[in-house]
Amino acid sequence: MADNDTKIVSFLCNWCSYGAADLAGVSRMEYPADIRVIRIPCTGRMSPKFILSAFREGADAVWVSG
Amino acid sequence: MEYPQAVPLKYGINPEVCLKLTKDKCGTCEEVCPANAIDYTQTQETITLDAGAIIFSPGFKPFDPSKFDNYQYVNYPNVITSMEFERILSASGPTMGHVTTFPKLPAKPKKKKDKLLAKKRKSPKRIAWFQCVGSRDMNKCDNPYCSSVCCMYAVKEAVIAKEHAGGDLDCSIFFMDMRTPGKEFEKYYQNAKDKHGINFIRSKVHSVTEDLDTHDLQIRYVDELGQIVTEVYDMIVLSVGLEITPETKELADKLGIEMTANGFCKTDSFEPVATSRDGIYVSGVFNNPKDIPESVLDASAAASAAGDALSEVRDTMTKQVATIPETNVVGERPNIGVFICDCGSNIKGVVDCAHVTEYAKSLPYVTFADENMYACSQDAQDKMVEQIKEKKLNRIVLAACTPKTHEPLFQETLKNAGLNKYLFEMTNIRNHNSWVHKNNPELATQKAKDLVRMAVAKAALAEPLKEEKIDVNASVMVVGGGLAGLTAAKSLATQGYDTHIIEKKDQLGGEALKLFKTAQGEDVGEKVAELIGAIEANEKITVHTDTTLEKVEGFVGNFKSLLKTGDKTCELEHGVAVLATGAKSSEPTEYGFGQDDRIITALGLDKRLKENDTQLDAINSAVFIQCVGSRETDRPYCSRVCCTHSVDNAILLKTRKPSMDVFILYRDIRTYGERELLYKEARELGVIFIRYEVDKKPVVVIEKDKIKISLNDHVLNQPVTLETDLLTLAAAIVPRKDEKLANFFKVPLNDEGFFIEKHAKLGPAEFATAGVFVAGAGHYPKPVNEAITQGRAAASRAATLLSKKDNLFTSGTIANVNVEKCSTCGVCISICPYSAPRFITEGRFEGKADINAVLCKGCGLCVASCRSGALHLRGFDTNQIFSQIFALGEVV
Repeated sequence: MADNDTKIVSFLCNWCSYGAADLAGVSRMEYPADIRVIRIPCTGRMSPKFILSAFREGADAVWVSG
Repeated sequence: MEYPQAVPLKYGINPEVCLKLTKDKCGTCEEVCPANAIDYTQTQETITLDAGAIIFSPGFKPFDPSKFDNYQYVNYPNVITSMEFERILSASGPTMGHVTTFPKLPAKPKKKKDKLLAKKRKSPKRIAWFQCVGSRDMNKCDNPYCSSVCCMYAVKEAVIAKEHAGGDLDCSIFFMDMRTPGKEFEKYYQNAKDKHGINFIRSKVHSVTEDLDTHDLQIRYVDELGQIVTEVYDMIVLSVGLEITPETKELADKLGIEMTANGFCKTDSFEPVATSRDGIYVSGVFNNPKDIPESVLDASAAASAAGDALSEVRDTMTKQVATIPETNVVGERPNIGVFICDCGSNIKGVVDCAHVTEYAKSLPYVTFADENMYACSQDAQDKMVEQIKEKKLNRIVLAACTPKTHEPLFQETLKNAGLNKYLFEMTNIRNHNSWVHKNNPELATQKAKDLVRMAVAKAALAEPLKEEKIDVNASVMVVGGGLAGLTAAKSLATQGYDTHIIEKKDQLGGEALKLFKTAQGEDVGEKVAELIGAIEANEKITVHTDTTLEKVEGFVGNFKSLLKTGDKTCELEHGVAVLATGAKSSEPTEYGFGQDDRIITALGLDKRLKENDTQLDAINSAVFIQCVGSRETDRPYCSRVCCTHSVDNAILLKTRKPSMDVFILYRDIRTYGERELLYKEARELGVIFIRYEVDKKPVVVIEKDKIKISLNDHVLNQPVTLETDLLTLAAAIVPRKDEKLANFFKVPLNDEGFFIEKHAKLGPAEFATAGVFVAGAGHYPKPVNEAITQGRAAASRAATLLSKKDNLFTSGTIANVNVEKCSTCGVCISICPYSAPRFITEGRFEGKADINAVLCKGCGLCVASCRSGALHLRGFDTNQIFSQIFALGEVV
């Protein structure tokens, strides 16, 4: 991850937010390219360890959505 | 080969121009073909097939506008058809998706200079679409019907053209009535107008002339105020209609099926896919002009009709597909193959796919990377299978569109290559990347590389997974006893499945009981009574009237529902559910409704017609107002049925009493397909149509002896006042908006409360939730024949699932327990919403947790909550998610 740009790690639920991100694409909405999506089967899958790990790897923000 | 996605993807020889076949010269292709596939001796063969039923889907051909001398399609290169424009917009089309005009070429280009001209294309600044070319026209062609699809495709083409060309492209659509009555279509039309700035001009252009030097196209038309306007465009797209070919008509004659005067198949509203000949069913545009979702519904419905007819001999001729044995890759070093999809220009137009492919080759364990134009096309899939086998790949990464729609397709490809389907990882570089970062190609390419790196890291840890068999209860619950529900129930029961109909009212029939006649003139009451009779006589069907649904548990194949009839409750076990809860007419809040009994809704008029109310004969003037509560800000959809309904009722009134003055006040008349003939008939009978704008609605004043309606007449451009004895309001159709039911089955509702189907085009009778299907007006307002078609289609989709009952498996991505590490704390058992974990009650591991694979939904809640690290979620295991996070952290 280059140092000079913002990186947001997002954990998106497969059933809602991941689909919503797909829909944002279908609707040709535009947003900054700082987001890297990790698809998870449900936000129930989220563990605090993933969030801490993402920060340790240099993420500026972590977004969990579901 | 007509286009690169043709099925089957094989070259053919055009016998008219082949030198070998015409002059017995050349023969080069035979010499060079390494597979020896060329055989000049092949001729037409006659094959005899024994079939129990025939489904006839011959399709249509786009109207050929060559004979229209006023549009000069033949002579002006930049007057093109909508189908040609569709190809121009396509990434695999002649201009690779770039919208360009065509230079004028000499009739027979000779010099090199002339040929080079063909490449000189410029970007158009102004494009015009002309609607109804070859439709709704008896003057220049004999197609009096509406082709149903052209308004929507023209709007779509204009929006996409603007998207491709950027902001300064000017798009205008010249139309008579804007017909966007499909689901979500009206919103698309309004957005095209308001957000994309597309001009909609209500006029029929009478002539086009070309400037000899500039090749600009000058058009002349009369605007709404009656002024002649001259404008110049770079390109004109003729929105050509749909036509049935003479060959199709000939074949239909040979099959002995009846057609309408326009060559479409004659079908009954209550058997909308059955032809006049028993055992032959019809689907698609030959069964009246229609869009993709309706064609898909027709196809499913025709399959159900054929299934009903052949139910006795079901499974007597089934052959098993040979399964390809799975290669054991456990313990092998990962050998990852990465495939990057261009998706035409959808991805490649933004992301540097070649660079990403090269980059992928440098990643750990990647031994192969390749770029495909369309990874999902049949040829690319076949190639992928070969490449997997040849390079002995044991993990596959695909960077393309969304796994939500395409993962199953590629998993099938893995299976065909002998790999376990879970050795696959898909990353989304289209919806989440190229489509949303189109102005930042560099950042998008960087992001694609990151996403591929993350996917590769995860795939390296993928393990082959096993799927458990699901037991399917082969019975059906249909919620809603209206036309769609009854049709679905009847078909499923005929095919041998126990079916239960749940109806909250005390009788079956639903809203159809309030209708008088269909657009084709059939008596609805009579037909519904017949259908109810058949339902009641069917031993496989149990009807639960006065019954509501209190609770639903379970999943596909194993639902348990709690029914409440009066004070009694009972539990029903079923494998699938069809939701056919319908819609109803709204109560208008304007035009004086409720203040005077001479102001009624369309259903109110049907009631009086049904009762043969003699007071109707005393009426001297009747007025209909359309779009009452539809196509407005707070209800932005078109109710689809009202135009035909009012036109039909106007005809009934006018034929009942020819001296009666009948007016229809409308915004756009949307009598799609052959319903257009009713509109024509109404005008011929003297029904007067006056158009109003939504911001200048008619004003109703109730007086003692008359109702007075004032509005601006669009032809005279003068205010007029009509006096009437009967005002019929075409009230909007509103859904039941049953959130409780939607929650029971975890199915979505749209903003207005209609059910959202699995896929707007390709999955119109099912939900994303497995085992749950949708039919009828709860999905979107629709007339009798379409509700029945969808009822049949839902039945067909349900039967497809039920008939697989010995072949239904769970997902492989579920939780499992490492009993060695389990500390028997029980957190997983208390936390799981699906009751999948339980304690083992006997044996060596007594007291440890275990997961019921059928109940597990793979959410991972238990995995995240397990303090001992004993639980793993296959396919989304902790180490896999960490590997993605770590891969993201790597500095490139």
